Amino acid sequence: MTSAKARLQSQAFVEDVAEEMLSSRSFWADARARFFKNRMALVSVFMLFLLVLFAIFGNVIAQWSYEEIDWNLLGMIKEEGGPSIANGHYFGVDELGRDMYARVVQGSRTSLLVGFVAGIASVLIGSTIGAFAGYFGGRFDSIVMGGYTIWLSVPYIIFFVVWQAFFGRSLGQMILVIVLVNWTAGLLIVRGQVMMLRNREFVDAARMLGLSDVAIIFRHIAPNILWVVVIYTSMVVPEVIMMESLVSFLGVGIQEPNTSWGALISEGASTMTFGTLWQLAFPAAFFVIAQVSLYYIGDGLRDALDPKDRL
Amino acid sequence: MFNYSVRRLLTAVPTILILIVFAFYLMRLAPGGPFTSEKPLPPAVMENVLKRYGMDEPLHMQLFTYIKNIVCCFDFGPSFSQKDRSVNDIIAQGFPVTLTYGFWSAVFVLVLGIPLGIIAALRHNSFWDYLMTGLAIFSQIFPNFVLAPLMVLLFTLSWGLLPGGGWNGGQWQYIVMPAIALGTSYMAGVARLTRGSLLEVLNSPFIRTARAKGLPERTILIRHALKPALLPTLTYMGPVFVYMITGSVFIDVFFSTGGIGQDFIDGAYSRDYSVLLGLAIIYCVLTFSINLVLDLLYAWIDPKVRDSL
Amino acid sequence: MSLLSVQDLAIRFSTGDGTVHAVNNVSFDIAPGEKVALVGESGSGKSQIALSIMGLLAKNAQVSGRILHEGRDLLTLSQDALNKVRAKKIAMIFQDPMSALNPYMRVGRQLTEIVELHEGLGRADARKRAIEAMEAVQIPDAKNRIDAYPHEFSGGMRQRIVIAMALICKPGLILADEPTTALDVTVQAQIMRLLDEIQSELNTAVLLITHDLGVVAGFCDRSMVLYGGRMMETAPTKDLFAAPSHPYTRGLLRAVPNINDAAGELRAIPGSPPNQLRPLTHCPFAARCVDAVEQCRSTLPELTGEATKRACLRPVEALS
Repeated sequence: MTSAKARLQSQAFVEDVAEEMLSSRSFWADARARFFKNRMALVSVFMLFLLVLFAIFGNVIAQWSYEEIDWNLLGMIKEEGGPSIANGHYFGVDELGRDMYARVVQGSRTSLLVGFVAGIASVLIGSTIGAFAGYFGGRFDSIVMGGYTIWLSVPYIIFFVVWQAFFGRSLGQMILVIVLVNWTAGLLIVRGQVMMLRNREFVDAARMLGLSDVAIIFRHIAPNILWVVVIYTSMVVPEVIMMESLVSFLGVGIQEPNTSWGALISEGASTMTFGTLWQLAFPAAFFVIAQVSLYYIGDGLRDALDPKDRL
Repeated sequence: MFNYSVRRLLTAVPTILILIVFAFYLMRLAPGGPFTSEKPLPPAVMENVLKRYGMDEPLHMQLFTYIKNIVCCFDFGPSFSQKDRSVNDIIAQGFPVTLTYGFWSAVFVLVLGIPLGIIAALRHNSFWDYLMTGLAIFSQIFPNFVLAPLMVLLFTLSWGLLPGGGWNGGQWQYIVMPAIALGTSYMAGVARLTRGSLLEVLNSPFIRTARAKGLPERTILIRHALKPALLPTLTYMGPVFVYMITGSVFIDVFFSTGGIGQDFIDGAYSRDYSVLLGLAIIYCVLTFSINLVLDLLYAWIDPKVRDSL
Repeated sequence: MSLLSVQDLAIRFSTGDGTVHAVNNVSFDIAPGEKVALVGESGSGKSQIALSIMGLLAKNAQVSGRILHEGRDLLTLSQDALNKVRAKKIAMIFQDPMSALNPYMRVGRQLTEIVELHEGLGRADARKRAIEAMEAVQIPDAKNRIDAYPHEFSGGMRQRIVIAMALICKPGLILADEPTTALDVTVQAQIMRLLDEIQSELNTAVLLITHDLGVVAGFCDRSMVLYGGRMMETAPTKDLFAAPSHPYTRGLLRAVPNINDAAGELRAIPGSPPNQLRPLTHCPFAARCVDAVEQCRSTLPELTGEATKRACLRPVEALS
């Protein structure tokens, strides 16, 4: 995905697509047609839809809550704790006798929520900064680019771990720190786009009408770079989910008893030596399905908008 | 080129300084500290402890002392949570471990990723090409923290081929899984990028010129196409190394290698200021140096960039 | 005896939108030492003809017909055999000197590799030859400039290097694909003069591919006009300019600004180039031709005539 991003940020791509989009009036119609022809992307949209439904309404059929301990099974989790319809633990129970099904529903909620909210927020912030840097150029631009370069060479995990350890581990904190870490999302590409667009006639025209710079950026330039923000978001969301899962795996993620895919995978991985593989398999499967779906959706969007680069 | 390196180093120093100051205040101003526990210490003891670690002085004085000790004596101070160990000890013990498997992981990424990308580009739509696409998707689905448990499940628990963790002085069996688990997704990324950029270069006008000269395809590839095709890969390696450092924290924890990642996480749990800060500095110095080397390499390959330095 | 004989050449490209008929049954000969122009708008297929001679067409191209050179059909040659023709017997000058040179390689190396390959020269001899070639295209201080990279040269100088690359093996035929389009007007003139000098010195045949009739007028013995991948007219350049026979040629000449005819109006040809997704069944120019009649839209005229040949049912001279 990082290599796909590299292409997305290359000058060639920016020019190709901007040119094509501005020159052809049927750009969006063509893009939509191409996307709907992409079977994998459509299946993925459907899968993601099911996942979201599962996260929202999955609890309806759960027989246990995600923090409740089934004392009947404690001490014989390996023998009796596996998936079973009879005792209501569809996905089995975890090491502490808690219902895996309810925990996977809860984990999906957390991971998807963090992924989408933090992902979209990061891209919006990064794009806005990028748009301003590209539009105004000059010193502001060089400060932003300097910060960007430095930030890219700092492993985010440092900041992440320190922040999480010192400021608590609630859902809100998690989203906040991800947005802080990801403030560069979409910055470079939007900056490049805006730099190209700011010298176009329609921007000059708007300037002559006396519109303020901010109004020009948001009302006249933003609609033209919407597509790039959309594809970029489709790539950032799975990355954010992955990021959240990684820090949860490291034990500095979301606070127990709340959970996420990463935390569940981590617990499952630590107990797999005991033979309770379902504790790893179910959360891993959901994580994998989400990642595959998001990958193909992002891929489909990219292909639809940038048919020149079918890798 | 020499001037450029010096200039880069000169900008790296204040950057790291800013990071230190920022991280220092972030940790200190946060609630809680290394000596906060369920049972509060008696005030007299607390005062003694604080004095011992120099924490009774004002914050900026502590920061000053900290930086002074690093600059003059390369001394990162004592650990707050691990008794009788200094941060220097921790770094000296853990850093070589992380560096060792990190190095092998980078070798794995480049030595496999680049040839795979080249083959996939040359044999467009062949088995290798599909293998690579598959690998790219695979790496997307199985990030290191899913891949590592899977590998342990297969290679350790099922087949008993490799040890599931530990370091044992760095014998090769202990390096294989950490290096592969850390590198696989970047290997796929490098392969995909190399393939894409080589395809693009092979379609570029100057390659057509080379063909018009009557050069055989092999010569064209080696003499004309490879260098420019590898430039994007080189650019990509910068962020990759940063990601790999992030990944190494996970690898250290999961495989109990004894690398600095585990100390870092432990430090976060126990709010061990000096360990966190010391390791953060090491991580930053590492990424800055890698990025500098990559930049110089880039300039060495691309004459246009070389002239602008 | 012609040096190169192109017979019934057709080039099609299979694309996502269908098959593009880029070149449709084109035939022509080039004699040794002859300077021939191939004129046409962009999309007329003129560059594709040059590329097909060099065997450099894109992978999705299908070629039929014959391209005879020294008694062999270049289209059927193996890759190795073709590599022995390229640069040695037939060389090509590309349109954009900015992108035609490898930016990561010293220009000297880009020259020496050609003579090392085709003449088996050692490093030192090859270097000497490269310097000679650079001097022949009038690059000042060639001895020192040989170790520079392409980006250290101006556009005109780079095009000189591209020309030096084409000339270094003294090939019998040079295909010059829009050699001056990417350059400033003043540099254009210099490059054309240089080409002319070198051509007369080596007596190399040149196929000049261009959309610029002004360049043709001063350089070529004979001109061929291409439209919609079809040969429209071929004639000695003088005759072509004085009395165009095909309505398309006439339209093309009227669209050229003429300094001697400041009062004359400049007329663009109405309409747009033909849709090449359909195979040709009638004259491709019929839709834009003011003189077209019903028959023009149903039959495909052959190229006929003596000195001047045209593929037209109602040539200009027949109407006046």
